[in-house]
Amino acid sequence: MKRNILALLLTLAGLCACYKAPQPDEVPQNSLYVGTVSVEYDGGVYENPDIQVACIPSADGKTADIVIYKIKFVPKMPVRIDVTIPGVKVTSLQDGLQLSCNDITPLALGGEYPKYQVYDLRGSVTDDKLSLSLLFGEYPTRFSGTRL
Amino acid sequence: MERCRIFATTMLAALCILLSLIKPQADTVLTAAYATAVKEDFPATGPVSGMPAELLQRYSVNNPKDIGILVPGLHLPDYGASLTSSIYVRGFGSRMENPVIGLYIDDFPILDKNSYDVDYLDIAGIRFLHGPQGTAYGRNALCGVLSIRTRRQEGLQARLEYGSGQTVRASLSGGVGRHSFSATYRHTGGFFQNVYSGKMCDPYDGGQFRWRWEKPGTEWTLSNLFQAALSREGGFAYGAWKDRQLQPVNYNDEAGYRRLTALEGFKARFRHEKLTLDLMASLQLLHDDMRMDQDYTAESIFTLQQRQISGAQTFEAIARPARQIGHWRPITGFFGFFKANRMQAPVLFKRDGIRKLILDNANAGIPDEIGVLDIPDTEFPVNSTFDILSWNAALYHESEFVWGRWHLTAGLRLDYEGAWMGYDCFSSLHYQMIPYMPAAKAYQDTYTGALRHGSFQLLPKLALQYDGPGRWHFFASLSKGYRAGGFNTQIFSDILQNRVMNGLMEDLGVYLDKPMVSALADRTEYQPEELWNSEAGFRYRDKHFQAQASLFWAEAVNQQLTVFPPGMSTGRMMTNAGRSRSYGTEMQVLWHKNGFNAQASWGWNRARFLQFNDGQADYAGRRIPYSPEHTLFAAAGYEGARWALEIHLKGTGPIAWNEANSLIEPFYLTLGARASLQFPRFRISLQGENLTGTRYRCFYFKSMGNEFFQLSKPVRITLGIQFSVL
Repeated sequence: MKRNILALLLTLAGLCACYKAPQPDEVPQNSLYVGTVSVEYDGGVYENPDIQVACIPSADGKTADIVIYKIKFVPKMPVRIDVTIPGVKVTSLQDGLQLSCNDITPLALGGEYPKYQVYDLRGSVTDDKLSLSLLFGEYPTRFSGTRL
Repeated sequence: MERCRIFATTMLAALCILLSLIKPQADTVLTAAYATAVKEDFPATGPVSGMPAELLQRYSVNNPKDIGILVPGLHLPDYGASLTSSIYVRGFGSRMENPVIGLYIDDFPILDKNSYDVDYLDIAGIRFLHGPQGTAYGRNALCGVLSIRTRRQEGLQARLEYGSGQTVRASLSGGVGRHSFSATYRHTGGFFQNVYSGKMCDPYDGGQFRWRWEKPGTEWTLSNLFQAALSREGGFAYGAWKDRQLQPVNYNDEAGYRRLTALEGFKARFRHEKLTLDLMASLQLLHDDMRMDQDYTAESIFTLQQRQISGAQTFEAIARPARQIGHWRPITGFFGFFKANRMQAPVLFKRDGIRKLILDNANAGIPDEIGVLDIPDTEFPVNSTFDILSWNAALYHESEFVWGRWHLTAGLRLDYEGAWMGYDCFSSLHYQMIPYMPAAKAYQDTYTGALRHGSFQLLPKLALQYDGPGRWHFFASLSKGYRAGGFNTQIFSDILQNRVMNGLMEDLGVYLDKPMVSALADRTEYQPEELWNSEAGFRYRDKHFQAQASLFWAEAVNQQLTVFPPGMSTGRMMTNAGRSRSYGTEMQVLWHKNGFNAQASWGWNRARFLQFNDGQADYAGRRIPYSPEHTLFAAAGYEGARWALEIHLKGTGPIAWNEANSLIEPFYLTLGARASLQFPRFRISLQGENLTGTRYRCFYFKSMGNEFFQLSKPVRITLGIQFSVL
């Protein structure tokens, strides 16, 4: 009987070892968030509602590319563009992920897009939410969205 | 070109040899087993313009474009190339897609409009039936039917002509026993010079061969017709219209048309004591290749090539009792065809076109601070291949009831036509966003799919005729015709062009606030057009004088019209966009006595849109463009045993060149004449067309915001000799 109880305990211990508890510091693959991008310009704020932002982690999980789809920086801009911020540093925290980078040239229009150089990017991924704040060139920009 | 010249030289050499065998011209006979076309037995319930061989010779009718003016209300403008057989009748017609009349050669319907314009030879007669002939002739007999009968020859005849534009025409025809044959060759140096190349832009070399076989019999009469035509030509002598001045033809890319067309038709007539049955079947082939400088400017903008090969089979059976059954004369028929067509239509955008049509449009929506889109290719293709199948089956019946002087005809046709089209379009280019992309990136797009449509038509006819006192006949009729639907193949290059631009922008991650909107393939079909026509008039005929006059009132619904699709910069497409009404009159008189003759015909119509919005403007109340309001022909002459002289006037217009009616061609007149001397062994003739040198505009179109016209041909003089041998 004792042997059986011991075997059962060992089996349960083995099963417990196989179970991997959810890790708050993992970025779900190709997560897509939707929310509002706010751009400060000429003393006002231009809000882009329903903007989709993707967070695409690298293979080692240490960096991620942030892709902002169909964004306008100022209302008079006659086109919307996709902008990618490559190589954003990812740091695991107790309650999620922290995103950060400084002085990165974004990618847009098929190549590097220095006009909107990214400075002082800070962001976080917690539960189903993504928030970002950064300087796109001279424009302070914020995003807050929930996962699709 | 060289082969055509060799052919011409051979023909001329043959003629020289035959000259040594000259015999007096005497024995041209017209003893065909089919003395008339099969459907000429149908009761004529409306106006008919008949043109026997003598009349065609007198007025030098050599191809369909020469017929137009002889028939009141019929307008066949001479422009473009052989494939541009635009036909306008009573205000209706269009320059694209299906014609508004049916063309029949010896009872065989010619299914492809590209085969309409061939040189005539050995024609026994031509009849034009005015008004819708849907009940007996079905598809496209919307405004009439042109029926051509070839003739059986005996002996050997030759004809040689030389005229303006370095035009040489040689023909040879004859017959032995049950066989008749004819061959013709025509060379034209051209009438219009392209100042860009310094060469004539409308030369023509073409030959045609016809063989006909007949076996008359008491019970079975059999007949076979084979004809083939091969041609190579330039064309499209379009000059720009700038500051109300017509510029010379000036385009840099190749333009021309090559065509092989063939018809093999077999007829059998079975006569039984109670029944006459006519069976007719034909095989038709068309293989052509059109090249066009689509912008018609000296810039390298874009070119179009259209190659197609199509085959068709038709079958028709007509049964009628051998004798009238009491007051009743019924005719019942079945008709069907199947046609398969493969068309390749590559559009090539060249450097100037990439810049003007694509980059300028795209960059207009992209602010400078964002960048500039470039396509570094010197040219890029938009290739389209279409496989089109179409089929038709129809059952029809006409009954004529005769009570004394009164004839009542009632008929009905049930007609089904279906079509299927598979499309396969492809485009490939490189693009670069400057200054951000370090190198150009390849981009390609394919667009494939299939469309299918089909519809039934009920085509009724009701007619009343009264044989009045003397030689007067009065008639009134109500009838319906339809023009087949189809696919706008020409718009696919625009669709793909827009797809490429939108796809390319998406690939770049750029989204315009006003994206380029494009028609989709499933919106490019158009449905049949229907026309209801009521008509009343009279005919008179005695030994020396014939007259015919009628009044008509026609209403077209689901009218096939060209519109600007949303977002398109260069293309127009056919759609069922409108309703129209046309009413008017047509008159013909013919007099001849003691060798003197006179003839006149006049057609007038008031054709207006009742409803038509082309996507840019509303044109309700405007005149339908391209169709003349008046057609006039007047001729007088003398034809004796030794000599003949004839002069004629042709008048056309006014013609509105656009839907807004802002550009009008005034009514114009041209003068023609013909003189001939008859010798015992041959006849010499001298003829002139457009002797006053009237320069009228015969075609207009707009492309990329530029306007273009084609001018009429100048004065033409032709010297000819005709003789019989053997």
